[in-house]
Amino acid sequence: MADYFKPLKVMKKNGPLRFPNLIYPLMKLYQLLSIFFCITLILTFSSLRVFAQSPLDKTITIKLNNVPLKQALDKITAATGVRFTYNEAVAASNIKLTINAKAQSLKQVLEVALANYPYNYSQLDQDILIRYDATKLKKPDAEPAAKPAAAGKFTISGTITSKQSGETIIGASIRLVDGAQGTSTNGYGFYSITLQAGDHQLLVSAIGQKTLVVPVSLTHDQRLNITMEDNAQELQTVTITATQKGARDLKSPQMGVEKLNIKEINDVPVLLGEHDVMKTIQLFPGIKSAGEGSGGFYVRGGATDQNLLMLDEATVYNAYHLLGFFSTFNSDAIKNVSIYKGDMPAQYGGRLSSVIDVKMNDGNNQKFGVSGGVGVIAARLNVEGPIQKGKSSFLISARRTYADAFLKFSKDTVVKNSQLYFYDINAKANLVLGDKDRVYISGYLGKDVLTANNVNGINWGNTTATLRWNHIFNNRFFSNTSFIYSNYDYEIKVKQDVNTYKITSRIKDWNFKEDMQYDVGSDHSLSFGVNSVYHTIKPGEISASGNSGIISQTLETRYAWDNAAYVSDTWKVTDRFSLTYGTRLSAFSIIGPGTYYDVNADGAITNSTHYNSGQIVKTYVNLEPRAAAAFQLNDISSVKASYARNAQNLHLISNSTPGSPTDKWVASTNLIKPELADQFSVGYYRDLAEHKYEFTFETYYKKLQNQLDYRNDANIFTNQPIETQLLYGKGRTYGAEFLLRKKTGRLTGWVSYTLSKSERLIDGINNNQWYNARQDRTHDLAVVGIYKLNDKWTLSANFVFYTGDAVTYPSGKYQIDGATYYYYTNRNASRLPAYHRLDLGATKQLKKTKKYSSELNFSLYNAYGNRNAYRIFFRDNKTDPNKTEAVRTTLFTYVPSITYNFKF
Amino acid sequence: MHTIRFSAILMILLGLLSSCEKVIDLKLNNSAPQTVIEGTVSNEAGGAKVSISLSKKFTDDSSFEGISGAQVTVEADGTIYNFDPTATGVYQNATLVGIPGHTYHLTVKLNDKTYTSTSTMPQIVKLDSIYVVDDELSTNKDKTKLRIAVVKYQDPANVQNYYRFIEYIDGRKEKSLFIDEDEFTNRQTVNSRLNFNNDNDDPAREIRTGKTLMVEMECIDAAVYKYLFSLNSGSTGNDNNAAPSNPTSNITGGVLGYFSAYPITRKTITVPAN
Repeated sequence: MADYFKPLKVMKKNGPLRFPNLIYPLMKLYQLLSIFFCITLILTFSSLRVFAQSPLDKTITIKLNNVPLKQALDKITAATGVRFTYNEAVAASNIKLTINAKAQSLKQVLEVALANYPYNYSQLDQDILIRYDATKLKKPDAEPAAKPAAAGKFTISGTITSKQSGETIIGASIRLVDGAQGTSTNGYGFYSITLQAGDHQLLVSAIGQKTLVVPVSLTHDQRLNITMEDNAQELQTVTITATQKGARDLKSPQMGVEKLNIKEINDVPVLLGEHDVMKTIQLFPGIKSAGEGSGGFYVRGGATDQNLLMLDEATVYNAYHLLGFFSTFNSDAIKNVSIYKGDMPAQYGGRLSSVIDVKMNDGNNQKFGVSGGVGVIAARLNVEGPIQKGKSSFLISARRTYADAFLKFSKDTVVKNSQLYFYDINAKANLVLGDKDRVYISGYLGKDVLTANNVNGINWGNTTATLRWNHIFNNRFFSNTSFIYSNYDYEIKVKQDVNTYKITSRIKDWNFKEDMQYDVGSDHSLSFGVNSVYHTIKPGEISASGNSGIISQTLETRYAWDNAAYVSDTWKVTDRFSLTYGTRLSAFSIIGPGTYYDVNADGAITNSTHYNSGQIVKTYVNLEPRAAAAFQLNDISSVKASYARNAQNLHLISNSTPGSPTDKWVASTNLIKPELADQFSVGYYRDLAEHKYEFTFETYYKKLQNQLDYRNDANIFTNQPIETQLLYGKGRTYGAEFLLRKKTGRLTGWVSYTLSKSERLIDGINNNQWYNARQDRTHDLAVVGIYKLNDKWTLSANFVFYTGDAVTYPSGKYQIDGATYYYYTNRNASRLPAYHRLDLGATKQLKKTKKYSSELNFSLYNAYGNRNAYRIFFRDNKTDPNKTEAVRTTLFTYVPSITYNFKF
Repeated sequence: MHTIRFSAILMILLGLLSSCEKVIDLKLNNSAPQTVIEGTVSNEAGGAKVSISLSKKFTDDSSFEGISGAQVTVEADGTIYNFDPTATGVYQNATLVGIPGHTYHLTVKLNDKTYTSTSTMPQIVKLDSIYVVDDELSTNKDKTKLRIAVVKYQDPANVQNYYRFIEYIDGRKEKSLFIDEDEFTNRQTVNSRLNFNNDNDDPAREIRTGKTLMVEMECIDAAVYKYLFSLNSGSTGNDNNAAPSNPTSNITGGVLGYFSAYPITRKTITVPAN
């Protein structure tokens, strides 16, 4: 408006121009016209609004008594047709409205209803926006003396647990409703957040739980334990404009990590209906199955022994039962699984390619419960309950197969007398000792037995026992101390006529771990600790009786002491930029008693030295720096980069195609150096369609050193030191991973694709040229869909496609002494045919009451029966021995199964 | 000790599941033909024989394709023995009879290339006896119990001994490789089973009552044992080994094959009734 007067002012300043006096009246007219014009505009616009009635002016007659905010708004929508828009936090608000309105305008209704709450309403197009406003209820600053403003920052900390079961919740997110500050609970459900003094609303969310808004008035350090309610179903029906429940953390610098929802695991169809976290993770990018009949997996081109599997802090050496059908982790009792694909935080170490950290449930400390299931070849049972309600609980979980029961039906006597079973038992108890301490004691026992006709057999198993103590020093300082015992062993028994042989092998660990987390201010979160493991490895003991002439032998037991210390800081540099930097220092000492050798290039022993008990043969010290950075571009996307170095001192030396439990675990020696990996990765993360979809792209390059392989003429069952059979070299792997995930709605699932390469260069193999590692897999695609048809039925399907394994095929054949043998040129230069299959699954909810629920699960593995090659071998033709042929073995086609699950 | 294979037990049990085998067509890359030299000198007349052949393409006929025109000699204790061609690719010397403890040097000149090898004939360890046992697990195709030949011998104490056994059933040579070493059986009385897989279900390979069973025992040197061991573990095409590869030959010059000087003892029985 003022602009219109400017010419007049100018005129006044400079004096009237020597124009005719007509100008002044003209300007005045112009001025009037402008004013008139503006007024007209205003009137026009307001009249438009008047003609399309404002939603706030709509009248309503409604009576509500203490109805939660969201429901109240829904009812108003139903009555007036006016829609409300509000974010997550508002939807979860626990304020209750009481409204008694008769033909009143919505404006009046809302004014009154929200008067005493920190919420504002305003018009947003044809909808009404409900917004949280912290300042709304602030009283004017009339009495400064009465409530002195608490200056500075204070810390809130506590444990987040489930209301129904008392289980601690891992990875729950706690952030300010409107602010950028936030944190998440650690592996024991503990969180700590430092904020400015004053009033705040904390938004607490976790997968599978109802989101909560907790108001706090911060004037001093507080202890705030929070309980959350289970939220089984999550069909979205409201307009959401902010972050989804349990959305991933775009700010966190941690890359290459996947967190799995146990409910998702239960919906993905699997072989023989046994839901398995290890099988489900193989459907994510970068993690590849080692093939049917094998439980191992490869992460980013690494070998199966490069994955650290932890069950409640204890290392598990053999992660799978019988022929890879079942993992050693009973999915019934799993609370959380975190998978790090190589850029693990500094607290983890000892394996190059990945860390799979599995935390089991602690046991419902509110009420007693039993759950379980019966499947085609295995049954599971879970019993848990409080020892002292709210304070302590126990959990026992057991599984056994009964495949051998079917063997009894066979007519073949060999099959009839064979045994094929495994069992595992998880037992835990935990005790809350006061506000600051919690003690856990847990054990795992698993065993597999495979015997043929009571004659030949192999059994193997893991045993672990753990004692853990959580201690909260103060609001910022959390500590976990663990004492762990772990044992993995196998025994092969062979009975031939009068001869009996027994071959045993064992690896035993005693482990002490101390992990601490300390929050320094609101921008730094420090974690540091130590880890010490004493390994006893018995590589083999042969005891023989009978007339075979075999003398009982014992290979020398090996001892090693593995120590590590780490420190790491996560620094919130700015609102958008976070950095994690730290390092792990590991020292692996090989200890006597024992004899250690020097070996020349041909594998012959040149020297041997004997060490006495306690003498240190050699110590390998490795500095393993870890660094990661995350830059949040905007609300929906971020970029991350990371670098990690890892050292591995335990090596699984395998010569067999499917990998067998008799593969040897060998520790580093004076000749076998620690394997090293340096991994660089960069990633881009974006949430699409208002956080309904998550898109992840990560690319990596990993350099491997001190890789091992067997010589071509290696004899595994020799008494000679293993180093005489080994060759050494290096490796490299690189790839690009894509993941698109839909986490809400009736249809959920993901599409995962990895493009990658994994190569080795070993001195003495393939003419010292780079060759494809067996696990090289160019393309790896998985599509998973879970569709919630209705309250009773959930359908699921997954489709898997990947390039066949890199294998060595013959390039010719020749005769030696009348028999045909094959000639080979390049190692792993050929490929098995591409592998693909479709699995279908359906789950029907049978009964669901508060006391008892049950469901029936159907699955069909390899639904279109693709004949995937388990192995391809070569032989003389049966009818014409002068011809040779290639034979493909397929394991599984069309395998249906039914499982019945119950819970009460 | 014959290797006890986890994979064998595994395959039996996997066979219970819905697995299947199918012959498929594979396009394999074929390398240039490789020279194969098999040379033997035994302590019997007629045992001095060298076969030279070429490797074939996978799709070719597997039969022996000899190469003529090679000059083959073996030198021992200062004497050079010439090997004359008796068939295409087969070169023999009728008079050379090996003596345990003596060293034999093979030289083959073929197409401007020279290949050499050395083998020392080990001392004789006699085959004491052979007999037949019933296998606990396996059966023949007609469900009768599978019967296996067992060799018995006394392993001497002071040396490292390596053995090869060749089994003949009714005069037909069993093509499977049977080798033994004394790493676990030094100075013991050894009863060793000659286990093999009758993968083409050929009745002629079965041990049955009334058939003639003959076993030859060769005492071989370390390099030949290594060759046969790596041949059996890496080149049979059976995919038990994750990394199939060519055997470690004891002939220099880049050929497939081996040269072995060994003494032989034999035992023959008629297979008794079960």
